[in-house]
Amino acid sequence: MIAEPALATGPVQATDGVIAAINLRSTLAQSWNRFWQAPLRAGIAEGLIEQEQLNAQFLGDLDAYDRLEQLAGHLVRLDPESARTALIEAQVAASTHRFAFARDCLARATHRGCPALAAQRLAMSIDQACGVSLEVLLEQRWGHARETGRLEDWVPLGSLLVDLGEFDAAERAYCRALDAYRDVSPFAVAWVCFLLGVLWGERAPRPQHARAARWYAKAIEDLPGYVKARVHLAEIEAAEGRCSEARALLLPVLASADPEVSWRLCDVSMAQGRPAEAQALCEAARSGFERLLARHPLAFADHAAEFYAGSGNDARRAFELTAIDLANRPTLRAFEKAHAAAIQAGEALEAASILAAARQRWGSTPAFLQSPLAAAQPHPEPGHAD
Amino acid sequence: MSDHVDGPRQIGDPSADLTDLFAFISPADPNRTVLAANVFPSAGTQAMFSNAIDHAIVARRLTIAGTGEKTQFKPSDPELRFTFRFDVLERATQGKRPLQRGTCTVPGGQAIRFVVDDENGSTSADGTYRVFAGLRSDPFYLAWIVAEMKKFPNLLQHDNVLTFLIEFDTRRVLDPAKGSLFGVIAETIPIPKPGGFIGHDPPRIDWVGRPEQTNMRLNNNGMEGTDDVRDLWNQQTPFAISEELMPLFRKRMVDSLKNWDMRDGKEDWTPAALAANANMFLDDFMTIDVTKPTSDTSHLEIEKSTLAGRPYQTGGGRTVDSDVIDILLTWMVNHDREFLQGGSTGATKPGTTRFPYLAAPNAELQNIAFSVDLAAPPDRVWALIGGFGGQWHPLVASIKLTGTGVGQLRTIETIDGKQLIERLDAMDNARRSYRYTSIAGIPATDYTGVLDVKPKGSGSSVEWRVQYMPGGQPDIIVKTISSTLLKTGLDSLKPRFGVPQ
Repeated sequence: MIAEPALATGPVQATDGVIAAINLRSTLAQSWNRFWQAPLRAGIAEGLIEQEQLNAQFLGDLDAYDRLEQLAGHLVRLDPESARTALIEAQVAASTHRFAFARDCLARATHRGCPALAAQRLAMSIDQACGVSLEVLLEQRWGHARETGRLEDWVPLGSLLVDLGEFDAAERAYCRALDAYRDVSPFAVAWVCFLLGVLWGERAPRPQHARAARWYAKAIEDLPGYVKARVHLAEIEAAEGRCSEARALLLPVLASADPEVSWRLCDVSMAQGRPAEAQALCEAARSGFERLLARHPLAFADHAAEFYAGSGNDARRAFELTAIDLANRPTLRAFEKAHAAAIQAGEALEAASILAAARQRWGSTPAFLQSPLAAAQPHPEPGHAD
Repeated sequence: MSDHVDGPRQIGDPSADLTDLFAFISPADPNRTVLAANVFPSAGTQAMFSNAIDHAIVARRLTIAGTGEKTQFKPSDPELRFTFRFDVLERATQGKRPLQRGTCTVPGGQAIRFVVDDENGSTSADGTYRVFAGLRSDPFYLAWIVAEMKKFPNLLQHDNVLTFLIEFDTRRVLDPAKGSLFGVIAETIPIPKPGGFIGHDPPRIDWVGRPEQTNMRLNNNGMEGTDDVRDLWNQQTPFAISEELMPLFRKRMVDSLKNWDMRDGKEDWTPAALAANANMFLDDFMTIDVTKPTSDTSHLEIEKSTLAGRPYQTGGGRTVDSDVIDILLTWMVNHDREFLQGGSTGATKPGTTRFPYLAAPNAELQNIAFSVDLAAPPDRVWALIGGFGGQWHPLVASIKLTGTGVGQLRTIETIDGKQLIERLDAMDNARRSYRYTSIAGIPATDYTGVLDVKPKGSGSSVEWRVQYMPGGQPDIIVKTISSTLLKTGLDSLKPRFGVPQ
């Protein structure tokens, strides 16, 4: 393992995160106006997709996905036969993890002559999200990163390396991304810091919480409204017994549409001896997840499953959701989660079946050797998570 | 569009994206010059300046080093640099925009502090300089679908931008006795972290001289299969384009101008004149003679006269209301044979004759849209809802029509006793769509609605959307009235026509 690099994030200052968040929301409203005025004008819908994705990813405005579907639906009504519409449909579908439909749309877009590079990049993202052809992808990702040297290409390479279990190489790719960055948007910088936090806090076989916490804190420093970074850091703080710090991280973003905030705050409230508050927050999280699942089941199945496996206290629902996620994208991580959920739900046969399928699909990869599935027993006792 | 969103790097942080540069003699005082630049296309109503960027306007004295086919404007030292730098936000009072302050550093190093959005601006102690920065109505207008040369309403209607502007005493600052012709550019440069860049400045994000250097000339969307060179251009040093890259830019410029010349099917430029024009545009700075008057029509006059081998008559420059797109298109497409007027004759709001010259920002246009998928074919659905006077909506007690065809009015009595009056603006039975405007009954302005039915699978999809500017009433009232009207109406169609399984 390489030594931990300094929390260096490129040679230029980034725009203050509060200003950047205000500006994103401000420009979004205007972009929608322009879209409704001239929906077929090139660039408007494409820009809106980027802005809404930033809005959802960083500011926790998950209604963005509804608006994106409305956007795609409107274009389908107005211009159903164009390559552009099909490509946008594919982008929107991929953003809510409807990968099979996204592939269909992408095939239509390609058939109709959409730009090859745009189609290739989206196809790569979908393959990566679904755990398909990762070795081929790795070669392509390296090629793009070396060719352009841009943050936008180093980051997906880093994420792919994480999926392949090459954590030190992934960290180096993320740090190359930060070093390559010459622009002033704090979103990109905060994003990479967050991914470094996830790498060391969740994905590495032996999590290093202090190391992860520093990256999450850096992401929040760059972008104070970064909901997911606050949630993840709060989780670490709470696990370390620093519940007040965890609460202070979560309260400012409680109004966001992300039910994970209520869920984590529920855990903190419980640890602080506030059961009534915890109960209310748990209900808020449950209804929040169910509302999202009703509209975008594939996008939120894995997160909701984690909730139900924890404070949501419904192991069967958790298993149902992990099974949906696994069917949608059979990544090694999805297998791990589904297997754990099956065991927790007392579904020993299902767990064994998932394990067998995971071994068949991933057993020959180096990543599998680092996975908890490598040591899992084919027929564990019901009711015990591995 | 002028310089709006002119490269991938700007899309990362739109507050770094320069949209337009203006240089004109103050209409309030002919002894004062105004230089202004805008950033952040489609800034909305809340946008603030980035605190991580130096926003600069730079002027250099020019000499005319050649005329006619040898036209050349030669910049000389020293540069006069006006740099705006912005602070992080201060806490907002309830319901107001957060407070942002900034500093403008002028040639010689004097620093002038100002408050963003203060329309009075800040004036230096001796009155030489006056500065402003804040949200304004975007004065730029583009009223063409340029790829097809088709007239269109202003594509930037209701847009706002962030403006930074400096007005100064022309004689004291520019000393026109030494030469009155100036080239002006604006640029955005990231502020390095301490020790971030050793031995050189950070690469600029964007710069702008004359309008449309990047989005129309270097990145001509009528030329398929060409590489996007906008970022490469934006990273050049203004007044000193790389000699190494100049052949690439020159070839692109010539090819692009040839393409523009043929957009009307007629060749109006000789190869030699076109080459001279290309060279002129590659000297990319806004030219202004500060001893001559500027007007809404004087933009490019200095360049055109010099290319024609005659002395220029005006101050050139670019005023706030200058119709730069039509001036430019006319020049590039038909060599000023016939003025090409786009689909609008002005921006959302005209500029003003008083400081800070750019109009106050626009309110945010509101949109509400609902749609429903139905099992019935579109013609069947349109037969019910496609009549402007059709009475199918469950919240409508009665409808009375006045007049016929486009322009007719419908007076709606709702079941709770309210009256709405609406005018038919367009009816397209072939596309199963109509558009209307609210005349009375909804407390909003510019309230327009569109109802249409499109085929979807073996059934249809109905969409109803309205757009308006908030009036005196709280927006929630209009939003609630409109949403209820639209949603209830569309929901009532489900039991009539069924929904797809």
